[in-house]
Amino acid sequence: MIKVKNLYHSYSKDDKYAVKDASFEVEKGEIFGFLGPSGAGKSTTQGVLTGLLQLQKGEVTVAGYDAKKFSKKMFNDIGMSFEQSNVYNKMTAKENLAFYAKLFDVETKDPQELLELVGLGDKANLKAGDFSKGMKHRLTFARSMINNPKLWFLDEPTTGLDPAIAATIKDIIWNEKKNGVTTFLTTHNMFIADELCDRVAFIVDGEIKLIDSPRNLKLQYGAKFVDIEYIKDNDSARESLSTVEAKDRNRIKELLDTYEIQTMHTKEATLEEIFIKVTGRGLV
Amino acid sequence: MKLWYSFTKELKLASRSFYFYIELFFAIIILVVVLFAIPENFSNSTTEYLYLDMPVENAAAFEARLLDEDSDNTADKMEIKIKKELIPVTYYETEDRKIYLVESEDDLVKLADNKKQLGAVIKVDMSVSPPVTSYKYYLQGYETDRLKNLYKVIHNSNLATLEAAVEDQEVRSLSTEYTVLSDREHTIPSLLTFNGSLMGMFIIAAYIFLDKEQGIIKAYAVTASSVWQYLMSKTLVITVTSIVTTAIIIIPVMGGKPDYLLMLLFLITTGFFASGIGLLISAYFRSMAKAFNAIYVLMVAMMLPAIAYFIPGWEPFWIKLLPAYYIIQGFSEIIVKGGNAGYVLLLSLGFLAAGSVLFIWATAKHKKSLTA
Ligand SMILES: Nc1ncnc2c1ncn2[C@@H]1O[C@H](COP(=O)(O)OP(=O)(O)O)[C@@H](O)[C@H]1O
Ligand SMILES: [Mg+2]
Repeated sequence: MIKVKNLYHSYSKDDKYAVKDASFEVEKGEIFGFLGPSGAGKSTTQGVLTGLLQLQKGEVTVAGYDAKKFSKKMFNDIGMSFEQSNVYNKMTAKENLAFYAKLFDVETKDPQELLELVGLGDKANLKAGDFSKGMKHRLTFARSMINNPKLWFLDEPTTGLDPAIAATIKDIIWNEKKNGVTTFLTTHNMFIADELCDRVAFIVDGEIKLIDSPRNLKLQYGAKFVDIEYIKDNDSARESLSTVEAKDRNRIKELLDTYEIQTMHTKEATLEEIFIKVTGRGLV
Repeated sequence: MKLWYSFTKELKLASRSFYFYIELFFAIIILVVVLFAIPENFSNSTTEYLYLDMPVENAAAFEARLLDEDSDNTADKMEIKIKKELIPVTYYETEDRKIYLVESEDDLVKLADNKKQLGAVIKVDMSVSPPVTSYKYYLQGYETDRLKNLYKVIHNSNLATLEAAVEDQEVRSLSTEYTVLSDREHTIPSLLTFNGSLMGMFIIAAYIFLDKEQGIIKAYAVTASSVWQYLMSKTLVITVTSIVTTAIIIIPVMGGKPDYLLMLLFLITTGFFASGIGLLISAYFRSMAKAFNAIYVLMVAMMLPAIAYFIPGWEPFWIKLLPAYYIIQGFSEIIVKGGNAGYVLLLSLGFLAAGSVLFIWATAKHKKSLTA
């Protein structure tokens, strides 16, 4: 569904790349996650894939179209939910969706049903300008489904939503997967990535560090972590360390030799810990 | 079809926006000013250039009478410079008239044409008996009947001669074969230019900057609808608004005089042209604040021809390089009875062509920068 080879993008059109030499493929029907801290280049990559940003360097094919000559027609099969909500403030939620529906040549969903799906059913006739940030975000998300997309781009679909609503959104994405929809999502939320994605790419400073399924990553790193709580300067401290990496093994020895250990147990690594291990960076 | 949906949606949005009401408000202000603050005709104090085509003794008698009426009872000899040529005149000033006596009909035509003022030849034909006095006026084209009659009365003290003089009247316009516009009506073309084109240019840019700020253009860019349809729907809204606001001004002031079909055509083509400029501005700048200098320059360029229009005799050649000059000219021809429709059609064609170029240019530029 998506093929990217050696993609570079620089906003200043020089060698300060927001995306650097990125290559990956997204299979039909899979949920592919771009996981990385803010500023990593996730939205930029998505921008190029959706034609919002002009392709500068690299080869990109989306839904069979070369990014050098995207056609308006292809957007009939594409949905895009934006990180920053962008709806008409002066129109009601329903008007926003109804108008957007008219911009496609394919069968579209019923606006009211969509609003109900994202929990805005009773707010259909309120002006979007009066919505809270989270409500606008949900409206933007709902809008991306209006044309029954086969390829779905979601930029931070759950960011800023409270956990219950985030869970609803997650269920909707999961449901669409069952309908055969291919999803490319960006997030810095590892739970979303962990629970939803067939495969994730770790991206930091515009570079993809690794691509694999959360399951494989956990098998590879799983049960090979120890959580050590110890007393340091009359205070309790805590560290998660790998039992395979040489650096971490030395650290474990050092802790055992130097400090009084309180608790110590092995556990399965979370995706976040794996991310930190692999990239040397946190997810925030 | 998508264009139609976009257009109706834009119209709906416009009706909920602040700018739309600004435009209506401005139109009403203009109407009120035109109707209540601008007199039908500005003043009765007129400047006229006279040539006395009569034997010396008659002329002397005439001059003596003028001298009598002159506020300081002196005739001032002076020279008026027209295109590097000095024309000798004798100047009299009465309560309501400034009179320049010139020495030949040639000089008279030069002065009247250049100063855009009334010129008259008073001729006493001695070859018949009794001698016949006749008047020949050189008018600019915008004088009213009232003003013309006033001249008739001024130069003909008794009614019998007045009637004879009216029969004898030879009125010739210097510019085109206009019928007359009152001073109030005379202000209309430049006001319409301000109301339609200037506002249109400014407001379409404002609409797009607003959309840019809200990120709406990005949402539009990932649909199966094209950028040109988006821009065209805005242009249509601007055109409809300018038709409405023009109607608000023109119908109460001019009634049935203008050729409304021609007016509609001209509003659409000039609106398209002005929108094109606005679209281009919104393509090259990120925000209204950043575009301000460009908008300012364009506004001045739009205003200058209007100013030149009100200052008779000030019409530097470069004014004719500004499109607004032709917009004003076009409106003048439309509101004047018997105006030159062919000229308006030609102008419309020109604005349509120029507007198309701007539109295509703006669309190409927007495609690249709308979403960056
Ligand atoms: N419109 C822009 N102009 C210039 N730089 C930008 C723009 N958008 C993003 N960037 C920069 O590009 C980098 C990647 O940003 P982005 O793709 O938005 O990251 P993410 O979505 O992973 O948070 C960041 O350094 C960001 O500051
Ligand atoms: Mg982002």
